[in-house]
Amino acid sequence: MGDNPADSVSRRSFVKYSGAAGVTGALAGCSSTGGGDGDDGSDGSDGSDGSDGSDGSDGSDGGDAPDEVIIGSNHPLSGGLSNTGERMDQAVRLAAMLKNEAGGIESLDGAELSVISGDNEGAQELGGEVAQELIDDGASVLTGCYSSPVTSAATRTSESAGVPFVISVSVANSILRETQLNYAYRPQPPADQMAIDHARLLAETVRNAGEEIETAGLFYIDISFGQSIRDALREELPANDIEIVAETAYESGDTADTQVTSLRDADPDAVIATTYRPGTIELVNAMDNQDYQPDYLTGCSNAAMNDVSALEEMGDTVEGGFATNFALDPTSDRAAEVRSRFESEFDSGFDANVAMTYAATEVIIAAIEEAASADPDDINDALGSITVEDHIAAMPPITFADNGENENALAPLFQIQDLEDRVVAPEEFAETDVQF
Amino acid sequence: MRSSFLSDACCREAPAVALGGVSGAPAGPADALGGLAALAGTFDALGTHAVLGLSLPSPTIFAQYFVFAVLLGGIYGLVALGLTMIFGVMDVINFAHGALMVVAMYAVLVFSDATGLSPFFAIPFAVVLLFVLGVVVYRSTIAPIIDAPQENQLIVTFGVLLILVSGVEMVFGSDPQQLGLDLGSLNIAGVFVPQGQLYALVIALVALAGTWLFLQRTMLGRAIRGTADNRDGAQYVGIDVPRIDALTFGIGAALAGLAGGVIPLFQSFTPALGDQYLINAFVVVVLGGLGSFPGAFVGGLIIGFIQVFGSAYLGGSTYQIVIFMAFILVLLVKPEGLLGGSADE
Repeated sequence: MGDNPADSVSRRSFVKYSGAAGVTGALAGCSSTGGGDGDDGSDGSDGSDGSDGSDGSDGSDGGDAPDEVIIGSNHPLSGGLSNTGERMDQAVRLAAMLKNEAGGIESLDGAELSVISGDNEGAQELGGEVAQELIDDGASVLTGCYSSPVTSAATRTSESAGVPFVISVSVANSILRETQLNYAYRPQPPADQMAIDHARLLAETVRNAGEEIETAGLFYIDISFGQSIRDALREELPANDIEIVAETAYESGDTADTQVTSLRDADPDAVIATTYRPGTIELVNAMDNQDYQPDYLTGCSNAAMNDVSALEEMGDTVEGGFATNFALDPTSDRAAEVRSRFESEFDSGFDANVAMTYAATEVIIAAIEEAASADPDDINDALGSITVEDHIAAMPPITFADNGENENALAPLFQIQDLEDRVVAPEEFAETDVQF
Repeated sequence: MRSSFLSDACCREAPAVALGGVSGAPAGPADALGGLAALAGTFDALGTHAVLGLSLPSPTIFAQYFVFAVLLGGIYGLVALGLTMIFGVMDVINFAHGALMVVAMYAVLVFSDATGLSPFFAIPFAVVLLFVLGVVVYRSTIAPIIDAPQENQLIVTFGVLLILVSGVEMVFGSDPQQLGLDLGSLNIAGVFVPQGQLYALVIALVALAGTWLFLQRTMLGRAIRGTADNRDGAQYVGIDVPRIDALTFGIGAALAGLAGGVIPLFQSFTPALGDQYLINAFVVVVLGGLGSFPGAFVGGLIIGFIQVFGSAYLGGSTYQIVIFMAFILVLLVKPEGLLGGSADE
């Protein structure tokens, strides 16, 4: 073996194909999931069996009210993000189902809502394609897509077609700010709002309790999602008198050993993690291995910190930690009812991503009601001026600015108590007191 | 500061002579690292953090990075072993290598869950399973086209990759899995050695030595080396080359199984993890020299050091640029790899 090298032609071939492997891997990393590390998918069933809703859907003739209005759901129903994607799709269906059970769209004489689903597989190149298919199948309004690059592609297709798109979950600032979109809306807080709320609420909560927080170390996944949050935290933490003393980038599939060594060397008061579930688990494993525990372990837009199964997996290390993310309103009885109905209907968990998707669908339904039409332009006009007060997200009434961002978007602060995420700030949405 | 969490274990405050502090395990296996850690601790105690006005990293932190680099390099070397063996003997670039690792990871998970035994018992099971799987894959997909142009085998192994990874994802989902092991770390003067990675390194070294001895000291090993040397010549002297190919692919898959089997000792895993290791394994094989076992470990160590120190001292993921710059440099200066023979031989 070692004494018998392969011939030079084979060596060139190996290098050539290794290069091809690298390029293939790099492209796969760029184009898929936004996380690359298979955040929390499960069985990857295609889930494309939405109710057909193929007739009587246009409602655009201004004459008789249509019998039904079609909502297109563009989510990852297979692949690495499918576990969450499927549940997000189910949230869209549940919102439509509950509206239909309540008599349908009142302003359209009880027209029913139909949901058709498309599987974007978490792949950027499919975002626009699936959006176009849904539009071709008669969708009057779309929602999706979870992964930011996919959403970016889908919103642009939707814009070209003149069909409104209400983002279910996608955090990257660039989606609505790279170019002016007139048909795209985002109820959830984007990356910079997440960072603003995290820095402000964390600093206020800790200091109001008589504790100190002066320094922070960042642990972020080195893709657009993590970089967006990092960039925003670079501005917002100093604005709240918190100095950033370390920044550590994490690559999907690695351990977090080196990053944790850098963090313990810098010794910040708080370690702020922005990554997907696998990255958070690796962070906690590495902290345990190095017997390192900062005063505050926090997550900014970190789904693992709002996932009970992940919290149980990470155990005591995350107990007492903080997280900022969009959330189901814990003070709302209706939100609790929706959660219960979802869990019984689909036998699966109702986490923050699912709650936000449900809230986005509530916005869509309110806009259809307001528009009294299934015409995309009418719905778009309604979205532009709508104020949705009755929704299940932990944020004030949803209303959109000219760029499509929710003017009142809020990411409340959670604390991990008994390995459950409990909202502790702001006060109007707090379900429990912070504990030290 | 809040006090409810554990105290900060930052090593600069650790006593320089406190060797052997353990999180749940004896210090024995890491004695070799003790000298380095003790030296680092002593430098820390002296406060030698700045030279000529330049801020230097704490020696203990530096030693910590060094330990992680060695551990990571060993894993990369182990991952590259099977890849370099299959290519060295058969001229087949096995794109499915990472997928075979993934099968092993989940085999360890299933075996541990089903039997309740320690995952250490599951690793031999995974190795045997992967050997059998490797032979089956070879017989069913590679053997029929072994004499076809190399692109054909490449595409076939890529297809095997897709089938295996998709199959694992359909059965287990893509949620990260972990074994729930709490092996702890050795604490040597503030330098932590995670025992999961330490065991993985030891297993990798044993695998290296065992495979090398097998190839050097057994008739079968000589037959494999003879086939690697000259396939036509091997046939002329009576070696059953198709059988050797099947055996080689099986051993390569078993080595992938070993690599995949040890990774759950220290890391959570998903169906996508194999591919992420595979990319660096390709680089390791080229750096170390095609078909060279020691080269795989040298290449692994180089990548390990670049990755660990690069991610510590360079911004973001810049270390990946450095890895591929080293890759290109070796191709330009010593294209046969650092420990590969001359192309003229």
